[in-house]
Amino acid sequence: MRLSEQAEDLAKALTEAQKKMWESWFDLMRAAPVSLPLSPPVADQWREMALQGLKTWTAESEQVVKDVAERLATTQDVVMRFLDLSVSAWKAMAPQIESGEDWQTWAKNYADHLRQQFLQFPQGATQAAQDTDELQRLYLEEWQKLVQPWVESLRRVPWQVGQAATGDGSAGIKLTNLYWDAYERTFGRLLESPSLGHTRELTQDLLKGFDAWVDSRRAILEYQSGLAEAWAEALEQFVRKLVSLAEKGEKIQSLVQLLNLWIDVIEGVFTTRFRSEEYIEKQSRLVNTVMAYRLIEREIVEAFLKTSHLPSRSEVDEAYRRIYELRREVKELKKSLRDLKAELSDQSKKGSHAAQSNGPPPDSHSKDHPHD
Amino acid sequence: MPFPLHLSPEETLRELTELNRKVATGIDNLSRLREEDLQVGVTPKEEVYREDNVVLYRYTPMVERPFPIPVLIVYALVNRPYMVDLQEDRSVVRNLLKLGLDVYLIDWGYPSRGDCWLTLDDYINGYLNNCVDNVRARHGLDRINLLGICQGGTFSLCYAALYQEKVKNLITMVAPVDFQVKDGLLNLWVGCSPGSPGMDVDLLVNALGNIPGEFMNFGFLLMKPFELGLRKYLDLIEILDDDKKLLNFLRMEKWIFDSPDQAGEAYRQFMKDFYQGNKLIKGEVKIGGKPVDLREVRVPVLNVYAEQDHLVPPASSVALVRYVGSADYTVKAFPVGHIGMYVSGKVQQDLPPTIANWLKERP
Repeated sequence: MRLSEQAEDLAKALTEAQKKMWESWFDLMRAAPVSLPLSPPVADQWREMALQGLKTWTAESEQVVKDVAERLATTQDVVMRFLDLSVSAWKAMAPQIESGEDWQTWAKNYADHLRQQFLQFPQGATQAAQDTDELQRLYLEEWQKLVQPWVESLRRVPWQVGQAATGDGSAGIKLTNLYWDAYERTFGRLLESPSLGHTRELTQDLLKGFDAWVDSRRAILEYQSGLAEAWAEALEQFVRKLVSLAEKGEKIQSLVQLLNLWIDVIEGVFTTRFRSEEYIEKQSRLVNTVMAYRLIEREIVEAFLKTSHLPSRSEVDEAYRRIYELRREVKELKKSLRDLKAELSDQSKKGSHAAQSNGPPPDSHSKDHPHD
Repeated sequence: MPFPLHLSPEETLRELTELNRKVATGIDNLSRLREEDLQVGVTPKEEVYREDNVVLYRYTPMVERPFPIPVLIVYALVNRPYMVDLQEDRSVVRNLLKLGLDVYLIDWGYPSRGDCWLTLDDYINGYLNNCVDNVRARHGLDRINLLGICQGGTFSLCYAALYQEKVKNLITMVAPVDFQVKDGLLNLWVGCSPGSPGMDVDLLVNALGNIPGEFMNFGFLLMKPFELGLRKYLDLIEILDDDKKLLNFLRMEKWIFDSPDQAGEAYRQFMKDFYQGNKLIKGEVKIGGKPVDLREVRVPVLNVYAEQDHLVPPASSVALVRYVGSADYTVKAFPVGHIGMYVSGKVQQDLPPTIANWLKERP
């Protein structure tokens, strides 16, 4: 059979297998304790439904069973996606090979092409990360839910000034800050609303948080870009591995063999990369910047909580610290008390032994008493 | 050069159909399992002491006259201690009991947010010392045997250095000692090499309070991302219809993902002093203000490690010989990984007798 026909048949087999896979999910879900609405077998919808069905199916099971069932479904999905990719590559490659072109060169080009695709997203995203206005908009969006009540309260402010401050996000936080400075000095004070009294403080916190947030977004993108490079490298290595197998005259004759080869290669690439100083630097920066932002985020949330007369994380932690210290102190005191009691008991035993060995206690009025 | 892929469409379809059938049947099998099928830590034991979240258990001896000096197992704060008694036929504890040992175990519990201020001083000078005192008092002994596992081994070393009058013999198992070995991925990530980038531990603890178990687990899984995230589940598909193997897998899976949060302050000190500062071997660690000098560990030491350990590299464990003060030092390697020490059938045959015989030779 010609390679292109073989690839075509393989693609059909894969489609057939996918159909069967979703059918088996369908059977499983039909037998589930709770009936689920089923729609046409469009892969993504099915995937989503399969996961939903899985949740229902294992609803009564222990957590570990639920988790393992979900991971199994994911593995099955990953296998299918990997095969999809492999068969597409094969289909695209087959005519070239048949026309006499060197398949290794083609495979390398194909891997390069995929590499570009992998690297495109992080590159684009990194460029986006340079756009401060865009970032500021995203940052404000993240806080929107929390800020919403505050925004609502502004809207109710007399003569609709709130609208101006809450309108266009690109106006930026600095503008609202300047605005609130003026506002608080004038009508804001007259309103005597505690929640409004804190808005400038919040705006300052939000401003402070912006830089930390940008740092963390950039670190996340850099990290993702590092991972994308690893994926790209894994593809290259995979092609190299296929070439080396061909050179040795070895064949891959089953899916499991192909999958295991792929896992060996990708695991090797990732674990090697994970040891590189470049990766460690990116991972550390990711953790450190995200944590730095979380600290500021907490300050912002706590400022909100304060306005709502709710205890904050820091206050609760402080209370925990005092309880912890008191608990330690109680333990130390109990131990001292126990030691003291033991000492007294020893002394009393020693005293009574001494008294017994010396015979009956002397008459305190006796002229023989040693301390008389 | 010939193309190396020779997948026949018929065979591929058959393979995929079989794979899908196994997954569907397997999930059906899984859903029938109930909590009682997945019991862990089943060897009979009784609670003998409790302090805050910490519980000290004594396993019911399996011989009429157990060895007179009991052994206290000190497990790590990371993950749960039932790994030493995962199931009846994979239980270090049960095997030690069968060999006539009297076994105690400390369960550190699950720290809550309120425990974020707990320090290594609390764990070592507090809980561990109180558990040791409790066992000593129960048996009327001055000194007992300690078996410290992983981070618990490091704790036991610190303890033996500080309280050698209470320790008869010390066994350390897959315990990290030298934290700046280059072959440990975990060590590299945490920033153990001087000058290398690493995590800002202070920032992490200040931001999170307790370090979530999920965070720790993610780090462990990331060390072998495709082996542990993909191949493991591909292999699982092959055993889904074998009840015994499936239950073994699930119990292990339960343990892997059962990761307690780490008390923030204890984590801070462990990461900064032990990992980043490598202070244990430098004699610079202080627990509650008391300096820990490994040369003070003069009791007999049995150091057991796993040759393929990717979490605690062998070099990190075997370094102990260079720093410990004991004149009676024995080292023993097993050809498995970190987890294999608890569950490998071969190790289950060899490890418990190694420990029991070594202890019995040092009454």
